[in-house]
Amino acid sequence: MPQATKLSAPTAAPTPALPVRGQTDHLRLIAEMTREFTASHDYQTIAHSALERITRYIGAEAASLFLLTDNGETLACSACYGPVDITGLRISAKTGVVGRAVQTREGSMVRDVSEDADFGASVDAKTGFTTRSLLVAPLNIGQDCLGAIEIINRVDGDGLFEADDLVLLETLARAAALAINNYRLTEQIVQQERERHELELAAEIQRDLLPQPSSREFPIHGINIPARSVSGDFFDIMTLPDGRIWFNVGDVSGKGMNAALLMAKTSSLFRCLAKSAEHPGQLLNAINSELCETNSRGMFVTMVGGLFDPATGRLTLTNAGHEPPLHFDLRTERFTPIPADGPPLGIMPGIAGSDGYAVTEIDLAGGMLYVFTDGLTEATTFGGGMLGIDGARALIRDHAEESPDIRLKSISGAVKLPGQSLRDDLTLLVVEDMMTARAASMPPPRLEAMSTDGEILRLRVPARPDRLKLIRAAVEQAAKYCEATEAWTFDLTMAVDEACQNIIRHAYGNRPDAGDIVVDFIRRGDCMEVHLMDFAEPVDPSKVKSRDLSEVRPGGLGVHLIKSVCDEAQFVPPPPGIGNLFKLTKRLPSKLQ
Amino acid sequence: MSYEIREVSGAAIVALTGDVDLQTSPAVRQKLLESLDKHKRIVVDLSAVHYIDSSGVASLVEAFQISRKKGASFSLASVSAAAMRVLSLARLDKVFTIHSSVEAALAPQA
Repeated sequence: MPQATKLSAPTAAPTPALPVRGQTDHLRLIAEMTREFTASHDYQTIAHSALERITRYIGAEAASLFLLTDNGETLACSACYGPVDITGLRISAKTGVVGRAVQTREGSMVRDVSEDADFGASVDAKTGFTTRSLLVAPLNIGQDCLGAIEIINRVDGDGLFEADDLVLLETLARAAALAINNYRLTEQIVQQERERHELELAAEIQRDLLPQPSSREFPIHGINIPARSVSGDFFDIMTLPDGRIWFNVGDVSGKGMNAALLMAKTSSLFRCLAKSAEHPGQLLNAINSELCETNSRGMFVTMVGGLFDPATGRLTLTNAGHEPPLHFDLRTERFTPIPADGPPLGIMPGIAGSDGYAVTEIDLAGGMLYVFTDGLTEATTFGGGMLGIDGARALIRDHAEESPDIRLKSISGAVKLPGQSLRDDLTLLVVEDMMTARAASMPPPRLEAMSTDGEILRLRVPARPDRLKLIRAAVEQAAKYCEATEAWTFDLTMAVDEACQNIIRHAYGNRPDAGDIVVDFIRRGDCMEVHLMDFAEPVDPSKVKSRDLSEVRPGGLGVHLIKSVCDEAQFVPPPPGIGNLFKLTKRLPSKLQ
Repeated sequence: MSYEIREVSGAAIVALTGDVDLQTSPAVRQKLLESLDKHKRIVVDLSAVHYIDSSGVASLVEAFQISRKKGASFSLASVSAAAMRVLSLARLDKVFTIHSSVEAALAPQA
């Protein structure tokens, strides 16, 4: 072994240190070592340099630094100085001279190794180095011990260490222990900072994966608020060349980086596979297969995927284990949950059975579909309780009149306490049936009843005085359908006529061909509801007042007449695309009367 | 909607038939104001009015107000059930002078 021959030659040993050493020199050495430890983050270089200083100062042949690892079971050489490089060498922390120092927390001197039973000659056997005498000092810091420094073979004199040498090494070891501890703490902070930076990058990538905010006129809007910097939730909106729109809302099990990565993968799969899928069931089957091929660690994804056709207001929907979306009917203010019919994605190929994920068809009929993650329903409200599904419904109802982008912010803002982060990621998406977009393709209104309860007829006419007679005729027919009395019919006819006049005169400002009026006649139990919709600028309801009847003057009488004969008459929040919605309710005459 | 104006002993009898609504009330108003220019006494026959809306009522109110300024007489006669319903809802049934028939309206006042 070439090193062995080299070692045996005394000329290869380091230059001996100055023979005379005083307190000042000790302090200078400690000060220099400490400065080096704190000045750099290159641990290996510092440790090596410190060992070199110590070795030369004491006048020894070699030195090594052992640090405890494997929960204190093993000592690993993390740096060394001298003719043989034993960096990486692992020895037991329970045996040997170094092990003894670590166990007893005390330094020791083995003046002559041949006289110490604890000395293990196995290292020498491996390296070819001959150890004659050694000094060991533990790296104590408080109650803990980090490892030990070992100095081997004095080069001057008889080649054996003195008691003074041990005192010096113990002092230096204490400084080294402190420096190593500081270094480790710094490393931890650096590592945390690095992880934080990585998370920030991941969050940025994730934000880029979310779609840009939709324009106010667009029928689908979404919002995502991560609980931490990265989110396991996501949503996406993608318009096909034929105008149909794919959308999804997903929730990855778990949180943090792994969830974010799975989210990114699922999101990409959705975008990629949606282009060739015919319906959401097929699409979710395909995503499930892909995820199962590579997914691990038991993570899975719940998802609602849908394809909306703005031209018809209809959509197809598939739910893979996700929170049931809510269909909100603006006219009745009723919610219909669309239940989860399939298992989550990424658990097992073909998990949804031989037919794959089922597809539900929904006609929004001027209403909206809300898709959200449990971050909404499980969010803490200002009151401290959980929002729940009823709370979510109430919020949706409360903000129904706001434009969709504002509405989503209002709803999510109601559960995100200012300055506090959410317990879970929150994602909310709304699909709205914009009636105006469909007006051109709407079939002509048919003057026929559809069922005993529900819509009786719908009328769409230009907002012109010469159409009022037609509207009155429609009211009479609708009332006749409900077997109403003549007097009842007359009153409702008058109310509808007056309401339409207001649309012509006030909403459309008497402009000829300014727009249409849509009148919906709806039977609801023992009431008839008439919904009058226009496409004009919203009217300020506070300016539409009934007149003071003590004042005899023309005009301003219409609203008074309406209110006199109806049980309810009020402006209600219009569905998207409708300017104003004025709703009349009149109780049908009892058959007994 | 149609209307007929006849003159009986210096009074103008304006008989309205059909629906008086936003579409037809401007013409009704016009006729009423013209009649007020020529006559000191106006009787509006509402027996054949199937429907009258707030704009029709407003025309009647306007004619009534002008007649008072001019010192002319303005009354309604033979008001149909439909028209009476609207007038009473508007609480104008106590404002207008209402006669059971055109003849009663033309009868010399006591």
